Amino acid sequence: MTDDKEAEGSVHTSVGSQLIIPIAAILFTIYYFYTIIDAPWTAQVAAFIVGSILIILVVLFGLKSVKIIRTGQGALDFDDLITPRSFVPKRLGLLSLTIVYIFIVPSLGFTITTFLFLAMATLLLSEGKNMSLILSLSAGLSLGGYLLFIVAFKTRFPAGPFETLMKVLF
Amino acid sequence: MEYDLSFFSEMFVRTFSFWWVIIPAIFLGLVVGAIPGFSAANTIIILLPLTLAMDPEIGLTFMVALYASSRMGAGIPAILVNIPGTAGAAATPLDGYPMTKQGRGQQALAMSFFASISGGLFTTVIALLSLPWLSQIAYYLHSVEMIVIMFFGISLIATIAAKDTLKGLIAGFFGLMIGFIGTDVVYETPRGTFGFLELYDKVPLIPALVGLFAISEAFAIIERQSILTERGKAAMQNPGWSATFEGIRMAASRWWHITWNSLIGLVIGVVPGAGAAIASFVAYQQSKTYSKTPELYGTGHIEGLIAPESANNGVTSGTLVPLLVIGIPGGATAAIMLVVLQYHGVTVGPDLFLTSPELAFGPFTAMAVTYVLMILTALPLARYMSKITVISTIYMAPIIISFTLVGSFVPRAYLFDMNLALVFGVIGYVARKTDYHVAAILIGVILGPLMETYFLRAMKMSQGDIMVIFSSSIGNTLWVLLVISLALPYYMDHRRKKLGDGS
Repeated sequence: MTDDKEAEGSVHTSVGSQLIIPIAAILFTIYYFYTIIDAPWTAQVAAFIVGSILIILVVLFGLKSVKIIRTGQGALDFDDLITPRSFVPKRLGLLSLTIVYIFIVPSLGFTITTFLFLAMATLLLSEGKNMSLILSLSAGLSLGGYLLFIVAFKTRFPAGPFETLMKVLF
Repeated sequence: MEYDLSFFSEMFVRTFSFWWVIIPAIFLGLVVGAIPGFSAANTIIILLPLTLAMDPEIGLTFMVALYASSRMGAGIPAILVNIPGTAGAAATPLDGYPMTKQGRGQQALAMSFFASISGGLFTTVIALLSLPWLSQIAYYLHSVEMIVIMFFGISLIATIAAKDTLKGLIAGFFGLMIGFIGTDVVYETPRGTFGFLELYDKVPLIPALVGLFAISEAFAIIERQSILTERGKAAMQNPGWSATFEGIRMAASRWWHITWNSLIGLVIGVVPGAGAAIASFVAYQQSKTYSKTPELYGTGHIEGLIAPESANNGVTSGTLVPLLVIGIPGGATAAIMLVVLQYHGVTVGPDLFLTSPELAFGPFTAMAVTYVLMILTALPLARYMSKITVISTIYMAPIIISFTLVGSFVPRAYLFDMNLALVFGVIGYVARKTDYHVAAILIGVILGPLMETYFLRAMKMSQGDIMVIFSSSIGNTLWVLLVISLALPYYMDHRRKKLGDGS
């Protein structure tokens, strides 16, 4: 990101996106303090020290951000997160596929879900080009993963119809 | 028994005869080290039935070889695709990945391998010769001293994110707060868990690592056709052995840097629980602080790569010292070794050096022999491994997501951990796009539970008196050193500017 900005020679700061991490940190710290409010002092002390320092740091960053906006060096926008805009649909698509992957892997198992995810995600990113190559690559990788992780390393990966069938056959 | 040159020579010759166990362990270690979620400890647990069936000396040799090579393997994806195989390699991509983007992946791997092998070999020999003295270090570090050491770790964050110290500190302290999630060790009160039982036992490290580094990187790289820059692509057009030899030559010319940083790793490794992640960041920070060209760190600087790699391999031998001398394992792998030794009826501790010297010194000679054999087996692989960087991101991003996401499931076999990895992936993506360093968040997550444990112990012992953290002379010396280490970069920078103006 920094490289891109430097290449473009831009000095614009997207203050809105810069504030996401500090605001998330503050919200989490407040929630954390709420959960330890009735805990013994000895169980609170580390979090109170670290959390207080964090709040001070975020306040300082907030003041710095206000200064950036006032001097016209930045604006309260989210450009840092969404540029280049042409990749937003692909990125959202990839995120959706990842959520679906996590959601269906317990029922379909590692091998089938990985094949479906690899095929669909790669087709999404390549805009549907090289379909036969992508399908065979996805099949090869998911089968390779099955052989390495489940057969060789005996890892407790989520099992589905394919893993159950293989267990019955071999 | 006399421990003279002939004794150690015999030990080395004897260990070399186990090459048939060591070489497969090296390759297995490189593979499992390179896959997030497949640590040496996990693999040794999976292979425990095999290890327990072996003669204890051969079983230990196998475990040590796998342990040492997995440490080196973790640096491979860190350099090539910006995804550390383990937390111990989290400082490696800071300069390793920029080198890859410039098309110097092969050279970076050769440097990393050389620094790992020579640093690991050197510290193993040092550990072997100074076992009784090194074992004393752990006795002097109690809760108070460890709190200061943890603060040392946090101070590194500001240095790592040198472009904006404030952002670095926010990321690091946010990571610390995340690291505090879970039940406290004294009262078992659940804190910050959002009601998830899976978080009662702290935030698992592998999903955090996978999310912050792998998932976020996968979402970020799809903007580019390749992870290589245009210059990098041109550099990758003519791969040959010359880049490997050049990498070795450049690393070898910095032998003092390797020696010093591997010794840092050895000393930190001796402290139970401290580990490779802390050692590699400490090494990186001090390397940058005392460098004549600190501005080059983070841009693909050689010393920024060899410092963490030599340090985390120094840790490898360090963790074995407290195990063998006082019976306290310095890390997860050392703990499994203890289980295997106990299974065979071997009691570790000072007596082991008298009753079974081949078992007491054996792990160190096995480690030394492993590093020697790695020169022949691992170094030549740099040329071929670097080719992964030419794969298009269209294929690479989905592969990274699917395989690392499932890797986050492996350590605990909770589906929850895959969701957690995705959450960390989103945090990591936002952090990357807004120039908060993901490594700063990760080091916070690593140090959080450790810092809290030591805080709780210190508070318990002092009956709630916060001033206990200034009650130890060693601790106070460390506080002074901490202040100096924070102030020194500013002083050096000021001095450099002054000299620049003068000239």
